[in-house]
Amino acid sequence: MTAALDGIRVIDLTVWFQGPVAAQHLADFGADVIKVERPQGGDLARGVRSIKAVPVGDWNQYFLVINRNKRSMAVDLKQKGGREIMHKLVAESDVFLSNLSAENLAGWQLSYDELRNVNPRLVYAMTTGYGPHGENTKPSFDMTVQALTGLMARQGEPGQPPIYLGMGSGDAIGGLMAALGILIALRHRDATGEGQYVDASLYGAQLFLGAPSLQAYLAGDESLAKQRSRKDAANPLWNIYEVSDRWLTLCLENTDENWGALAGTLGNDALAHDARYATAKARSENNRELIDALDAALAARTADEWVDIWEPLGIPASPVCNLQDLADDAQAWENDYFVKAYCEEVQREVDVRGLPITLSNTPGSVRTLGPELGQHTEEILTETLGYTWEQVVEFKEQGAIL
Amino acid sequence: MTAALDGLVVLDTTTRFWASLGVALLGDFGADVVKIEAPDSSVTNNGWDHHNEIANRNKRSLALDIAQLEGRGAFEKLVAKADVFVTDAPEPEVEAQKVDYTSLSALTPDLIYAVGSGFGPEGPDRDLPALDELAAARTGMMPVLPQPGQAPVYTEAGQIYAGVQLAFGIMAALRHRAATGAGQRVDASLLGGNMYGASLDLQAFLAMGGERFLKPVSRLDAGNPMSGVLYRASDGRWVTLTMPDTDRYWPDLAAITGLDADDERFNSHEKRCEENRLELLRTLEEAFGREPSDHWRREMDARQMSADIIEEYSYPAADLSVVKNRYIIDVEDNGTRRRSLGFPIYMSESPAALTRRAPVLGTHSDEVLRDLGGLDSDAIARLREAGAVA
Repeated sequence: MTAALDGIRVIDLTVWFQGPVAAQHLADFGADVIKVERPQGGDLARGVRSIKAVPVGDWNQYFLVINRNKRSMAVDLKQKGGREIMHKLVAESDVFLSNLSAENLAGWQLSYDELRNVNPRLVYAMTTGYGPHGENTKPSFDMTVQALTGLMARQGEPGQPPIYLGMGSGDAIGGLMAALGILIALRHRDATGEGQYVDASLYGAQLFLGAPSLQAYLAGDESLAKQRSRKDAANPLWNIYEVSDRWLTLCLENTDENWGALAGTLGNDALAHDARYATAKARSENNRELIDALDAALAARTADEWVDIWEPLGIPASPVCNLQDLADDAQAWENDYFVKAYCEEVQREVDVRGLPITLSNTPGSVRTLGPELGQHTEEILTETLGYTWEQVVEFKEQGAIL
Repeated sequence: MTAALDGLVVLDTTTRFWASLGVALLGDFGADVVKIEAPDSSVTNNGWDHHNEIANRNKRSLALDIAQLEGRGAFEKLVAKADVFVTDAPEPEVEAQKVDYTSLSALTPDLIYAVGSGFGPEGPDRDLPALDELAAARTGMMPVLPQPGQAPVYTEAGQIYAGVQLAFGIMAALRHRAATGAGQRVDASLLGGNMYGASLDLQAFLAMGGERFLKPVSRLDAGNPMSGVLYRASDGRWVTLTMPDTDRYWPDLAAITGLDADDERFNSHEKRCEENRLELLRTLEEAFGREPSDHWRREMDARQMSADIIEEYSYPAADLSVVKNRYIIDVEDNGTRRRSLGFPIYMSESPAALTRRAPVLGTHSDEVLRDLGGLDSDAIARLREAGAVA
């Protein structure tokens, strides 16, 4: 069985998460992704020592999972020999991807203008912070850019601090957008022979991440920019409730039929027949009272008990799970959203986040975890680029490679 | 200048916002996306329906009843011309309508058959309703996001990852088809999308485990006082810093907050992030509380620090760079200027474009049946009489 992206070669000159995860999408589906790193320490993400103040333990999952299925080449781009190797690699590649600064890239003779001369068919992709146009040159990280989008300010209960959508949430959408842009540009290249410049920024991608509420805000609904209490949900039947053991998500359209079905399970006749909640309009107008009443009624049972009672009635609900529940969730494992992979660093199988996009005939795969710094330098120079061993030794003596 | 996806024919039967939005990304780059809806569909699209305007822009609308024999015949002619078919209906419904993969790939063996699902193609819950709230609840992040003691948080973002993943899966499968001629089935799900958005937390938990990943961490107990943190300024607005490499930024941060960079408590990364982490968090909270957010933005911008102020939607809505980059665009609506989300992916030679607003139901029925289906006007008239087309 061949892989979907067989035969596509990608130069991955990126660090941290947004750029590397863009290339990871391509690598999972079989592209030959060559991660180019500086000989001194490589990608800074190799140095991650703790996450949320918890030590990373015996394998650096942060780096190794994002950079899975890739080869690593350690090249010093400050050296003439390093730049020569890069230009030769560009000539033999389909995609150049970077999230380093345009100034650095230009200094190493890796600007778009330079590389399109080396290879007019090249797709030159950047994952920038703020997009190709505009004056913002500040450093950009996931959360500092998310801060500007307005996404954080509207999360959570009124009066609480703003809420970050999760570690790497912005990089994840930026990287995914870049991966999509690269495939679209490759199709254009195949049809026309023409490469081009592609950019998916943290800012643009994260604004898109806010589509459900930001699009409504742009149409005039300013309330969506603000935090909104669960106590103010316009439809009390579509809300989260704290039940006896944990929280629960309930998803019912506000119809009389749905209210009848739900109310019939609450064991409270007075509530079921309360005139304040008899119609959709009444339930919406008296939402605070009804939410209070449901808070009280639902506290009688556990989340699993409610889900069991409601399931035969077709009432959609789910316990609000934690990451342990997810790690134990058969649904995630059976779809390969989690997979097991062999980790060379610790010589054992480890659990890793898997393949959220399912292709029936050419599924993605986790063949190897992230490479050691420079693990494939010699192999790439000799086999992919056709250098002789004498030339490799010469590059080494110059300090152009590790 | 040709569009990147010129000539690509996509039959789109999705009804959910996130899946339709994912398909719209292909239309933005020039794919011929034909949205097929039942003639009695309740979607009217009169005036500015803002969600419909992004989810169905750059699509043609065909109102066709594929349950009728006549309508089915026309539908099969379109499938024979299609590169991609997309659905977000549950499998039992798709089978009942005979638009399942087996039925359609019998008509077009190299078809890319794409599904936007709730919980993926396998597993015990594959037929649960495709609701983002349910998928988010399963993903395990809702309890972690707020401050301790607060209600779980539903962000709405998981569905957007899923929509973009659907588009990516389609493009990857098309690439494979271009190389080998083989079609296949593609699935992207709300559960997969939510999980991808939570990549770093869930991978850290898988590898490291422990209570700290299961419960909210107070902002004044952050793992690195200089990274991923929030401090309250004197005007009640919030400052956020991302400086994982604290050595690089500490002298600047110390300078603007009035601390001594050589302060024995904080003069190494280890002291800042381990030994005296909590003390530094408290110290910075106090320092940032002394001045308003505008002051901090000026100071941090002047030093090009990796930091910013938490803004509301009014900020990007007024930001000129957002317009220059076409992340937000103006759309003309019968003399009224509307604002809409634009294009998150920039391309120099084959840029995304708004060539067509979200169509009114059935606007393109005749031209699609004629140009793509190869039907003549008599045949189309007969379909209309039978009520199969509107």
